[in-house]
Amino acid sequence: MNGAIEISTGNLAIGLIFIVIAGIMSVIHGLKLEKDLTIGTIRSIAQLTAMGYLLKIIFSMESAVFVIILFAVMTFFAAEIIKGRVKKQNVPYFLPTLFSVQITFFLITYIVTALIVEAKPWWTPQYFIPIGGMIAGNSMSALAISLDRLFSDFKAKRALVEMKLCLGASPAEASSEIFKDALKAGMIPSINGMMGAGLVSIPGMMTGQILAGSDPTEAVKYQIVVMLMLVASTAIASFIVLKLVGGRCFGKGGNLLV
Amino acid sequence: MTNMVLEFKRAAFKWPDGPELKNINLKVGKGDFILITGPSGSGKSTLLRLASRLEEPSAGIILFNGIPITEINPEMLRRKVAFIQQTPTVTDGSVKDNLLLPYSFAVNRKSQVPDDKDIRENLKKLRLDINPDKDASSLSVGQRQRLCILRSLLLKPAVLLMDEPTSALDPESRLLVEKMSEEVNLEGTAILMVSHSEYRPSVPYRKITVKDGRITEERQ
Repeated sequence: MNGAIEISTGNLAIGLIFIVIAGIMSVIHGLKLEKDLTIGTIRSIAQLTAMGYLLKIIFSMESAVFVIILFAVMTFFAAEIIKGRVKKQNVPYFLPTLFSVQITFFLITYIVTALIVEAKPWWTPQYFIPIGGMIAGNSMSALAISLDRLFSDFKAKRALVEMKLCLGASPAEASSEIFKDALKAGMIPSINGMMGAGLVSIPGMMTGQILAGSDPTEAVKYQIVVMLMLVASTAIASFIVLKLVGGRCFGKGGNLLV
Repeated sequence: MTNMVLEFKRAAFKWPDGPELKNINLKVGKGDFILITGPSGSGKSTLLRLASRLEEPSAGIILFNGIPITEINPEMLRRKVAFIQQTPTVTDGSVKDNLLLPYSFAVNRKSQVPDDKDIRENLKKLRLDINPDKDASSLSVGQRQRLCILRSLLLKPAVLLMDEPTSALDPESRLLVEKMSEEVNLEGTAILMVSHSEYRPSVPYRKITVKDGRITEERQ
Protein backbone atom coordinates (compact mmCIF):
# COMPACT_ATOMS: atom_id res chain seq x y z
CA MET A 1 0.00 0.00 0.00
CA ASN A 2 1.12 3.58 -0.59
CA GLY A 3 1.51 6.19 2.19
CA ALA A 4 -1.21 8.70 3.03
CA ILE A 5 -2.28 11.24 0.40
CA GLU A 6 -0.54 14.53 1.22
CA ILE A 7 -2.74 17.47 2.20
CA SER A 8 -1.55 20.76 0.73
CA THR A 9 -1.52 23.88 2.91
CA GLY A 10 -4.28 25.40 0.79
CA ASN A 11 -6.47 22.36 1.23
CA LEU A 12 -5.73 22.36 4.96
CA ALA A 13 -7.10 25.89 5.11
CA ILE A 14 -10.42 24.54 3.81
CA GLY A 15 -10.63 22.77 7.17
CA LEU A 16 -11.19 26.18 8.74
CA ILE A 17 -14.69 26.04 7.23
CA PHE A 18 -15.59 23.69 10.11
CA ILE A 19 -14.64 26.37 12.65
CA VAL A 20 -16.55 29.01 10.68
CA ILE A 21 -19.66 26.78 10.82
CA ALA A 22 -19.28 26.39 14.59
CA GLY A 23 -18.69 30.17 14.90
CA ILE A 24 -21.88 30.97 12.97
CA MET A 25 -23.83 28.65 15.30
CA SER A 26 -22.34 30.46 18.28
CA VAL A 27 -23.30 33.89 16.90
CA ILE A 28 -26.84 32.84 15.91
CA HIS A 29 -27.60 31.28 19.29
CA GLY A 30 -25.65 33.84 21.34
CA LEU A 31 -23.35 31.19 22.85
CA LYS A 32 -20.44 33.67 23.12
CA LEU A 33 -17.99 30.92 22.16
CA GLU A 34 -16.41 32.88 19.27
CA LYS A 35 -13.39 33.94 21.33
CA ASP A 36 -12.79 30.41 22.68
CA LEU A 37 -13.21 28.96 19.18
CA THR A 38 -10.64 31.41 17.76
CA ILE A 39 -8.12 30.86 20.56
CA GLY A 40 -8.69 27.09 20.45
CA THR A 41 -8.13 26.99 16.69
CA ILE A 42 -4.96 29.08 16.85
CA ARG A 43 -3.63 27.08 19.80
CA SER A 44 -4.31 23.69 18.25
CA ILE A 45 -2.70 24.72 14.91
CA ALA A 46 0.32 26.25 16.66
CA GLN A 47 0.77 23.44 19.22
CA LEU A 48 0.35 20.61 16.69
CA THR A 49 2.64 22.30 14.14
CA ALA A 50 5.27 22.83 16.82
CA MET A 51 4.83 19.21 17.94
CA GLY A 52 5.19 18.03 14.33
CA TYR A 53 8.47 19.87 13.84
CA LEU A 54 9.74 18.87 17.28
CA LEU A 55 8.99 15.20 16.63
CA LYS A 56 10.67 15.43 13.24
CA ILE A 57 13.81 16.79 14.90
CA ILE A 58 13.71 14.26 17.75
CA PHE A 59 13.07 11.34 15.35
CA SER A 60 16.02 12.39 13.21
CA MET A 61 18.35 12.89 16.18
CA GLU A 62 17.56 9.53 17.81
CA SER A 63 18.80 10.87 21.15
CA ALA A 64 17.67 9.29 24.41
CA VAL A 65 18.20 12.62 26.19
CA PHE A 66 15.66 14.41 23.99
CA VAL A 67 13.19 11.56 24.47
CA ILE A 68 13.57 11.91 28.25
CA ILE A 69 13.10 15.69 28.05
CA LEU A 70 9.95 15.28 25.99
CA PHE A 71 8.73 12.61 28.44
CA ALA A 72 9.27 15.02 31.35
CA VAL A 73 7.47 17.87 29.57
CA MET A 74 4.51 15.69 28.51
CA THR A 75 4.00 14.23 31.98
CA PHE A 76 4.33 17.64 33.64
CA PHE A 77 1.61 19.10 31.43
CA ALA A 78 -0.57 16.02 32.03
CA ALA A 79 -0.32 16.62 35.80
CA GLU A 80 -1.02 20.35 35.31
CA ILE A 81 -4.15 19.57 33.28
CA ILE A 82 -5.40 17.14 35.95
CA LYS A 83 -4.87 19.88 38.56
CA GLY A 84 -7.10 22.13 36.48
CA ARG A 85 -9.82 19.49 36.13
CA VAL A 86 -10.10 18.43 39.77
CA LYS A 87 -11.81 20.90 42.12
CA LYS A 88 -9.43 22.72 44.45
CA GLN A 89 -8.75 20.78 47.65
CA ASN A 90 -6.92 21.42 50.89
CA VAL A 91 -4.97 18.21 50.30
CA PRO A 92 -2.00 18.60 47.91
CA TYR A 93 -2.11 16.17 45.01
CA PHE A 94 0.06 17.63 42.22
CA LEU A 95 3.27 15.73 42.99
CA PRO A 96 1.52 12.35 43.50
CA THR A 97 -0.27 12.92 40.19
CA LEU A 98 2.97 13.75 38.37
CA PHE A 99 4.68 10.72 39.91
CA SER A 100 1.79 8.47 38.96
CA VAL A 101 1.72 9.65 35.32
CA GLN A 102 5.50 9.29 35.02
CA ILE A 103 5.63 5.76 36.45
CA THR A 104 2.71 4.61 34.30
CA PHE A 105 4.01 6.29 31.13
CA PHE A 106 7.47 4.78 31.57
CA LEU A 107 6.49 1.29 32.72
CA ILE A 108 3.75 0.56 30.20
CA THR A 109 5.52 2.23 27.28
CA TYR A 110 8.66 0.25 28.04
CA ILE A 111 6.73 -3.03 28.05
CA VAL A 112 5.07 -2.16 24.72
CA THR A 113 8.16 -0.88 22.89
CA ALA A 114 10.72 -3.31 24.30
CA LEU A 115 8.74 -6.54 24.67
CA ILE A 116 5.78 -6.35 22.27
CA VAL A 117 6.88 -4.14 19.37
CA GLU A 118 10.54 -5.07 20.02
CA ALA A 119 11.78 -1.65 18.91
CA LYS A 120 15.58 -1.33 19.02
CA PRO A 121 16.52 0.62 21.06
CA TRP A 122 13.39 0.45 23.23
CA TRP A 123 13.24 4.25 23.47
CA THR A 124 13.09 4.69 19.67
CA PRO A 125 11.25 8.06 19.58
CA GLN A 126 8.89 7.04 16.75
CA TYR A 127 7.38 4.40 19.06
CA PHE A 128 8.14 5.61 22.58
CA ILE A 129 6.68 9.12 22.23
CA PRO A 130 3.32 8.46 20.52
CA ILE A 131 2.60 5.35 22.59
CA GLY A 132 3.57 7.17 25.78
CA GLY A 133 1.43 10.10 24.71
CA MET A 134 -1.62 7.88 24.42
CA ILE A 135 -0.90 6.42 27.87
CA ALA A 136 -0.42 9.88 29.40
CA GLY A 137 -3.61 11.16 27.76
CA ASN A 138 -5.76 8.28 28.95
CA SER A 139 -4.14 8.15 32.39
CA MET A 140 -4.87 11.86 32.67
CA SER A 141 -8.61 11.29 32.23
CA ALA A 142 -8.58 8.30 34.59
CA LEU A 143 -6.69 10.21 37.27
CA ALA A 144 -8.99 13.22 37.05
CA ILE A 145 -12.04 10.95 37.40
CA SER A 146 -10.51 8.93 40.26
CA LEU A 147 -9.34 11.96 42.24
CA ASP A 148 -12.62 13.78 41.77
CA ARG A 149 -14.50 10.69 42.98
CA LEU A 150 -12.15 10.23 45.93
CA PHE A 151 -12.58 13.80 47.18
CA SER A 152 -16.33 13.98 46.57
CA ASP A 153 -16.89 10.61 48.31
CA PHE A 154 -14.82 11.67 51.31
CA LYS A 155 -17.05 14.71 51.64
CA ALA A 156 -20.32 12.88 51.04
CA LYS A 157 -19.44 9.89 53.24
CA ARG A 158 -17.62 11.73 55.99
CA ALA A 159 -19.95 10.40 58.71
CA LEU A 160 -19.39 6.80 57.56
CA VAL A 161 -15.59 7.19 57.45
CA GLU A 162 -15.50 8.84 60.87
CA MET A 163 -17.83 6.18 62.31
CA LYS A 164 -15.33 3.50 61.25
CA LEU A 165 -12.37 5.53 62.57
CA CYS A 166 -14.17 5.83 65.90
CA LEU A 167 -14.50 2.05 66.08
CA GLY A 168 -10.75 1.60 65.68
CA ALA A 169 -10.38 1.49 61.90
CA SER A 170 -7.12 2.73 60.43
CA PRO A 171 -7.44 5.41 57.71
CA ALA A 172 -6.90 2.70 55.07
CA GLU A 173 -9.61 0.49 56.59
CA ALA A 174 -12.03 3.38 57.01
CA SER A 175 -11.62 4.47 53.39
CA SER A 176 -11.33 1.09 51.67
CA GLU A 177 -14.80 1.31 50.05
CA ILE A 178 -14.14 4.87 48.83
CA PHE A 179 -10.77 3.76 47.46
CA LYS A 180 -12.37 0.87 45.55
CA ASP A 181 -15.11 3.06 44.09
CA ALA A 182 -12.62 5.72 42.98
CA LEU A 183 -10.34 3.12 41.39
CA LYS A 184 -13.27 1.56 39.57
CA ALA A 185 -14.48 4.95 38.33
CA GLY A 186 -11.06 5.63 36.81
CA MET A 187 -10.85 2.24 35.11
CA ILE A 188 -14.36 1.97 33.65
CA PRO A 189 -13.90 4.32 30.63
CA SER A 190 -10.96 2.31 29.27
CA ILE A 191 -12.84 -0.97 29.79
CA ASN A 192 -15.88 0.49 28.01
CA GLY A 193 -13.50 1.55 25.23
CA MET A 194 -12.60 -2.12 24.72
CA MET A 195 -16.26 -3.10 24.56
CA GLY A 196 -17.07 -0.64 21.75
CA ALA A 197 -13.85 -1.01 19.77
CA GLY A 198 -14.50 -2.17 16.22
CA LEU A 199 -18.27 -2.05 16.74
CA VAL A 200 -18.96 1.61 17.41
CA SER A 201 -15.79 3.22 16.15
CA ILE A 202 -12.50 2.58 14.42
CA PRO A 203 -10.13 3.61 17.23
CA GLY A 204 -7.64 6.45 16.76
CA MET A 205 -4.39 4.62 16.31
CA MET A 206 -5.88 2.18 13.81
CA THR A 207 -7.48 5.06 11.89
CA GLY A 208 -4.10 6.80 11.69
CA GLN A 209 -2.33 3.71 10.44
CA ILE A 210 -5.00 2.95 7.85
CA LEU A 211 -4.88 6.56 6.59
CA ALA A 212 -1.09 6.27 6.45
CA GLY A 213 -1.51 3.22 4.20
CA SER A 214 -0.94 0.30 6.58
CA ASP A 215 -2.62 -3.05 6.05
CA PRO A 216 -5.79 -2.94 8.25
CA THR A 217 -5.03 -6.40 9.68
CA GLU A 218 -1.61 -5.12 10.80
CA ALA A 219 -3.18 -1.92 12.14
CA VAL A 220 -5.54 -4.10 14.19
CA LYS A 221 -2.62 -5.70 16.04
CA TYR A 222 -1.32 -2.32 17.14
CA GLN A 223 -4.79 -1.26 18.14
CA ILE A 224 -5.28 -4.39 20.26
CA VAL A 225 -2.03 -3.65 22.08
CA VAL A 226 -3.16 -0.07 22.59
CA MET A 227 -6.54 -1.06 24.03
CA LEU A 228 -4.95 -3.54 26.44
CA MET A 229 -2.20 -1.18 27.53
CA LEU A 230 -4.71 1.60 28.18
CA VAL A 231 -6.67 -0.60 30.58
CA ALA A 232 -3.49 -1.42 32.47
CA SER A 233 -2.25 2.17 32.45
CA THR A 234 -5.48 3.62 33.80
CA ALA A 235 -5.52 0.93 36.51
CA ILE A 236 -1.90 1.49 37.53
CA ALA A 237 -2.09 5.30 37.36
CA SER A 238 -5.30 5.44 39.39
CA PHE A 239 -4.01 2.92 41.93
CA ILE A 240 -0.76 4.83 42.56
CA VAL A 241 -2.40 8.24 42.82
CA LEU A 242 -5.20 7.00 45.08
CA LYS A 243 -2.73 5.27 47.40
CA LEU A 244 -0.60 8.41 47.65
CA VAL A 245 -3.39 11.00 47.83
CA GLY A 246 -5.72 8.82 49.93
CA GLY A 247 -3.06 8.72 52.66
CA ARG A 248 -2.68 12.50 52.54
CA CYS A 249 -6.42 12.91 53.20
CA PHE A 250 -5.76 11.94 56.83
CA GLY A 251 -3.71 13.75 59.44
CA LYS A 252 -1.18 12.26 61.86
CA GLY A 253 -3.97 11.41 64.27
CA GLY A 254 -5.83 9.47 61.57
CA ASN A 255 -8.26 12.40 61.32
CA LEU A 256 -9.97 13.18 58.03
CA LEU A 257 -8.65 16.39 56.47
CA VAL A 258 -10.84 16.64 53.34
CA MET B 1 -5.27 12.33 90.59
CA THR B 2 -4.89 8.65 90.02
CA ASN B 3 -8.34 8.00 88.61
CA MET B 4 -8.10 10.67 85.90
CA VAL B 5 -8.96 9.16 82.52
CA LEU B 6 -9.11 12.25 80.36
CA GLU B 7 -7.62 15.69 80.85
CA PHE B 8 -7.56 18.82 78.68
CA LYS B 9 -4.65 21.13 79.49
CA ARG B 10 -4.84 24.62 77.95
CA ALA B 11 -6.25 23.06 74.76
CA ALA B 12 -7.22 25.42 71.94
CA PHE B 13 -8.75 24.97 68.52
CA LYS B 14 -9.95 27.25 65.72
CA TRP B 15 -12.13 26.32 62.77
CA PRO B 16 -11.27 28.33 59.60
CA ASP B 17 -14.66 30.06 59.69
CA GLY B 18 -16.34 28.65 62.77
CA PRO B 19 -16.19 28.47 66.55
CA GLU B 20 -13.02 28.75 68.52
CA LEU B 21 -11.98 27.02 71.73
CA LYS B 22 -9.52 28.85 73.95
CA ASN B 23 -7.51 27.63 76.91
CA ILE B 24 -9.71 24.62 77.73
CA ASN B 25 -8.92 22.93 81.04
CA LEU B 26 -11.06 19.97 81.96
CA LYS B 27 -10.50 16.90 84.11
CA VAL B 28 -12.55 13.76 83.63
CA GLY B 29 -12.26 11.09 86.30
CA LYS B 30 -13.11 7.40 86.01
CA GLY B 31 -16.88 7.03 86.07
CA ASP B 32 -17.61 10.76 85.76
CA PHE B 33 -20.77 11.88 83.99
CA ILE B 34 -20.29 15.30 82.40
CA LEU B 35 -23.11 17.09 80.67
CA ILE B 36 -21.93 19.69 78.13
CA THR B 37 -24.28 22.49 77.20
CA GLY B 38 -23.97 25.81 75.42
CA PRO B 39 -25.33 27.75 72.46
CA SER B 40 -25.30 26.26 68.93
CA GLY B 41 -21.92 26.57 67.25
CA SER B 42 -20.10 27.29 70.51
CA GLY B 43 -17.67 24.40 70.06
CA LYS B 44 -19.29 21.67 72.20
CA SER B 45 -18.91 18.99 69.53
CA THR B 46 -15.39 20.19 68.75
CA LEU B 47 -14.47 19.51 72.37
CA LEU B 48 -15.47 15.85 71.94
CA ARG B 49 -13.81 15.61 68.52
CA LEU B 50 -10.54 16.82 70.05
CA ALA B 51 -10.65 14.06 72.69
CA SER B 52 -10.96 11.35 70.03
CA ARG B 53 -8.41 13.03 67.71
CA LEU B 54 -10.97 13.60 64.98
CA GLU B 55 -9.50 17.11 65.20
CA GLU B 56 -6.09 18.16 66.48
CA PRO B 57 -5.72 21.03 68.98
CA SER B 58 -3.81 24.10 67.80
CA ALA B 59 -2.31 24.50 71.28
CA GLY B 60 -2.21 22.66 74.60
CA ILE B 61 -2.41 18.92 75.21
CA ILE B 62 -5.00 16.28 75.96
CA LEU B 63 -4.10 13.32 78.16
CA PHE B 64 -5.66 9.88 78.33
CA ASN B 65 -4.72 7.95 81.48
CA GLY B 66 -1.94 10.52 81.96
CA ILE B 67 -0.42 10.00 78.50
CA PRO B 68 -0.65 12.70 75.79
CA ILE B 69 -3.07 11.32 73.19
CA THR B 70 -0.60 12.26 70.45
CA GLU B 71 1.66 9.52 71.84
CA ILE B 72 -1.06 6.86 71.66
CA ASN B 73 -1.84 4.94 68.50
CA PRO B 74 -5.00 6.69 67.18
CA GLU B 75 -6.79 3.38 66.52
CA MET B 76 -6.06 2.18 70.04
CA LEU B 77 -7.11 5.53 71.52
CA ARG B 78 -10.45 5.53 69.72
CA ARG B 79 -11.49 2.13 70.99
CA LYS B 80 -10.81 3.37 74.54
CA VAL B 81 -12.29 6.85 74.02
CA ALA B 82 -15.38 6.00 71.98
CA PHE B 83 -17.21 8.70 70.04
CA ILE B 84 -20.95 8.45 69.36
CA GLN B 85 -22.03 10.64 66.46
CA GLN B 86 -25.07 12.87 66.57
CA THR B 87 -26.63 11.08 63.59
CA PRO B 88 -26.37 7.31 64.02
CA THR B 89 -24.46 5.82 61.12
CA VAL B 90 -24.88 2.17 60.19
CA THR B 91 -23.31 0.23 57.35
CA ASP B 92 -25.07 -1.95 54.79
CA GLY B 93 -26.00 -5.33 56.23
CA SER B 94 -27.72 -6.72 59.28
CA VAL B 95 -27.75 -5.63 62.93
CA LYS B 96 -25.25 -8.40 63.62
CA ASP B 97 -22.99 -7.27 60.75
CA ASN B 98 -22.93 -3.81 62.29
CA LEU B 99 -22.12 -5.09 65.74
CA LEU B 100 -19.29 -7.21 64.37
CA LEU B 101 -17.90 -4.45 62.11
CA PRO B 102 -15.24 -3.27 64.62
CA TYR B 103 -13.75 -6.77 64.77
CA SER B 104 -12.84 -6.58 61.08
CA PHE B 105 -10.35 -3.81 61.91
CA ALA B 106 -6.77 -4.83 62.70
CA VAL B 107 -6.68 -3.13 66.12
CA ASN B 108 -9.64 -5.19 67.36
CA ARG B 109 -8.65 -8.55 65.89
CA LYS B 110 -7.34 -9.85 69.21
CA SER B 111 -10.54 -8.88 71.02
CA GLN B 112 -13.05 -11.55 71.81
CA VAL B 113 -15.72 -11.46 69.12
CA PRO B 114 -19.21 -11.60 70.63
CA ASP B 115 -21.08 -14.74 69.67
CA ASP B 116 -24.78 -14.93 68.79
CA LYS B 117 -25.72 -15.46 72.47
CA ASP B 118 -23.74 -12.35 73.57
CA ILE B 119 -25.35 -10.30 70.83
CA ARG B 120 -28.88 -11.37 71.78
CA GLU B 121 -28.23 -10.74 75.49
CA ASN B 122 -26.78 -7.27 74.86
CA LEU B 123 -29.62 -6.32 72.53
CA LYS B 124 -32.07 -7.42 75.20
CA LYS B 125 -30.21 -5.47 77.89
CA LEU B 126 -30.63 -2.29 75.81
CA ARG B 127 -34.29 -3.11 75.22
CA LEU B 128 -33.52 -3.53 71.55
CA ASP B 129 -35.87 -6.39 70.94
CA ILE B 130 -34.85 -6.98 67.35
CA ASN B 131 -33.70 -9.90 65.30
CA PRO B 132 -29.88 -9.68 64.85
CA ASP B 133 -30.37 -10.68 61.22
CA LYS B 134 -32.65 -7.73 60.52
CA ASP B 135 -31.40 -5.18 57.99
CA ALA B 136 -29.88 -2.34 60.04
CA SER B 137 -31.05 0.32 57.61
CA SER B 138 -34.67 -0.62 58.33
CA LEU B 139 -34.37 0.31 62.04
CA SER B 140 -35.86 3.50 63.44
CA VAL B 141 -33.45 6.36 64.23
CA GLY B 142 -33.79 5.61 67.94
CA GLN B 143 -33.01 1.92 67.45
CA ARG B 144 -30.07 2.83 65.22
CA GLN B 145 -28.67 5.16 67.85
CA ARG B 146 -28.87 2.45 70.52
CA LEU B 147 -27.29 -0.01 68.09
CA CYS B 148 -24.42 2.43 67.53
CA ILE B 149 -23.94 2.89 71.28
CA LEU B 150 -23.96 -0.89 71.82
CA ARG B 151 -21.44 -1.33 68.97
CA SER B 152 -19.01 0.97 70.80
CA LEU B 153 -19.77 -0.46 74.24
CA LEU B 154 -18.88 -3.99 73.16
CA LEU B 155 -15.30 -2.72 72.82
CA LYS B 156 -15.40 -1.78 76.54
CA PRO B 157 -14.30 1.86 76.26
CA ALA B 158 -13.11 3.83 79.29
CA VAL B 159 -14.77 7.03 78.03
CA LEU B 160 -17.91 7.48 75.96
CA LEU B 161 -18.12 10.78 74.06
CA MET B 162 -21.74 11.37 73.06
CA ASP B 163 -22.47 14.21 70.65
CA GLU B 164 -26.13 15.10 71.13
CA PRO B 165 -27.11 11.43 70.94
CA THR B 166 -30.80 12.14 71.54
CA SER B 167 -31.32 15.20 69.33
CA ALA B 168 -32.95 13.26 66.48
CA LEU B 169 -34.98 10.93 68.69
CA ASP B 170 -38.61 10.80 69.79
CA PRO B 171 -39.26 11.23 73.55
CA GLU B 172 -39.51 7.48 74.21
CA SER B 173 -36.25 6.68 72.40
CA ARG B 174 -34.60 9.64 74.10
CA LEU B 175 -35.45 8.29 77.53
CA LEU B 176 -34.13 4.85 76.59
CA VAL B 177 -30.79 6.28 75.39
CA GLU B 178 -30.49 8.47 78.50
CA LYS B 179 -31.24 5.56 80.80
CA MET B 180 -28.79 3.39 78.92
CA SER B 181 -26.06 6.05 79.28
CA GLU B 182 -26.65 6.21 83.02
CA GLU B 183 -26.46 2.41 83.35
CA VAL B 184 -23.21 2.36 81.40
CA ASN B 185 -21.88 5.15 83.61
CA LEU B 186 -22.78 3.22 86.77
CA GLU B 187 -20.64 0.35 85.45
CA GLY B 188 -17.63 2.73 85.49
CA THR B 189 -17.51 4.26 82.00
CA ALA B 190 -16.90 8.01 82.03
CA ILE B 191 -19.41 9.88 79.91
CA LEU B 192 -19.15 13.28 78.24
CA MET B 193 -22.50 14.08 76.71
CA VAL B 194 -23.33 17.15 74.65
CA SER B 195 -26.97 17.92 75.23
CA HIS B 196 -29.33 20.65 74.14
CA SER B 197 -32.28 19.25 76.01
CA GLU B 198 -33.31 19.82 79.60
CA TYR B 199 -31.94 16.41 80.48
CA ARG B 200 -30.99 15.93 84.13
CA PRO B 201 -29.23 12.60 84.72
CA SER B 202 -30.39 10.54 87.68
CA VAL B 203 -26.76 9.67 88.45
CA PRO B 204 -24.30 12.19 89.98
CA TYR B 205 -23.10 14.48 87.22
CA ARG B 206 -21.20 17.67 86.44
CA LYS B 207 -22.45 20.26 84.02
CA ILE B 208 -20.19 22.47 81.96
CA THR B 209 -21.16 25.24 79.58
CA VAL B 210 -19.17 26.11 76.47
CA LYS B 211 -19.57 29.76 75.56
CA ASP B 212 -17.39 32.18 73.62
CA GLY B 213 -14.74 29.50 73.26
CA ARG B 214 -14.34 28.94 77.00
CA ILE B 215 -15.87 26.50 79.46
CA THR B 216 -17.42 27.19 82.79
CA GLU B 217 -18.44 24.55 85.28
CA GLU B 218 -21.84 25.27 86.72
CA ARG B 219 -22.39 22.55 89.21
CA GLN B 220 -20.41 19.80 90.80
